[in-house]
Parts: sequence; structure tokens; C-alpha cells
Amino acid sequence: MHMHKLEKIWLIVGVSCLVLFLTTIGVSAFYLGNKPPSCLTTVDPDKVDQQKPFDKPGLHKVEGKDWDYELVYVAQAFSYNPAQVKVPLGAKVKVIATTKDVIHGFEVAGTNINMMLEPGYVSEYTTTFNKAGEYLVVCNEYCGSGHHLMFSKIEVVKQ
Amino acid sequence: MAKAELKTEQKTEIEDSSSLKGTLASVFFLGLFIVITWVSVYMLFVERF
Repeated sequence: MHMHKLEKIWLIVGVSCLVLFLTTIGVSAFYLGNKPPSCLTTVDPDKVDQQKPFDKPGLHKVEGKDWDYELVYVAQAFSYNPAQVKVPLGAKVKVIATTKDVIHGFEVAGTNINMMLEPGYVSEYTTTFNKAGEYLVVCNEYCGSGHHLMFSKIEVVKQ
Repeated sequence: MAKAELKTEQKTEIEDSSSLKGTLASVFFLGLFIVITWVSVYMLFVERF
């Protein structure tokens, strides 16, 4: 097959880029273990308040796990529980959240914590809070007339 | 029945007078744009917690 020399160059460059991008995603998923926030864990949406860990929303210290704290959130129209929480700087935290009624969003503005909360499903995200400051948690899935009033605050503080 | 002679020796000359330098430049220009945007978004993802 006749192929122009320059054509070969851009095909090689293009294919290499594709391989590089896909390898990055592959390493992220299979080696670093990154996955979608909602991963097969379910909860009865009518009995969220009675079930662990959602019976006690807030920050809890845990022992013997890969993370130091668990930050439990329950969302409902149009608020989050807890409304405000303090997290020590540098803590590895697993954020566990669900919703009692409709689909809500859980976005910690300016960070990678951005999950969709679906009734009946538990969403999780593990991360290290390594930058001090005040972070706003907002709902980014339209959930009703009070959607824009739905927020919570995370304070990352030195201890 | 006589068969028509197949002229296998005669080759069709493909003239390669067209230059692809401009195409290469535009392909690389677009490629560079894609790579820069991809890398910048990836860096943003890595930098944030």
C-alpha cells in the first residue's frame, strides 16, 4: 500500500497519543483503584435514618482501615446532614453519602469530590484533605424548588 | 477462443506531486491543541483532592 511519508508520521503520533491516554485511564482504574462513586452498595431509602452508618451523620474516627475518618452525609430536599463539619488537615477521609428522597448532587466545590446521590444507593469517595480552607458543598442535580438553597460546609482546619 | 493478452508489464504511474506539508502542519496543530487541553485537565484532576 502506498502511503505518504508525512502521513505515516501523523498516524504514528496519533496512535501513540491514543495509547498514552488509554494507558493513563487503565492505570488509574486497575492499579490505583479509581472507580465510580456509586459501587454496588445499596440502602433502603425509607429507612436511611435507622441504618448504619447513616444513623449517625458526621465525621467519625475509624481504626484499622485504609482511611482515618469516615464522613457520613445524608441528603434530603433541601439540606444536607450535617450542615457543617470540621475535618483535620491531612486526614484521609472516606466520604459516604446517600439520599432519602430524590436524586441529589454532592459536589465539594473546587475539589474532585463530585458525586451523584441516588435513592437506594450509597456513594463513596476516599481522599486526603491536604489543603486547609472552607469548602462549600453544593447540590448539582436539580432536585426541586429549593435546589439552590441546598448546601453544606466543610472546614479543613489545622490541629 | 483466443484470449485477450493481459498486459501485466505495464505499470500505472502514480504521480506524487502533491505536497502534504500543509496537511502535516494542520494535523499537528490540532493534535497539539488536543494534547495540551487533555494534559491541563489531567493536571487539574491530579492537583486537587
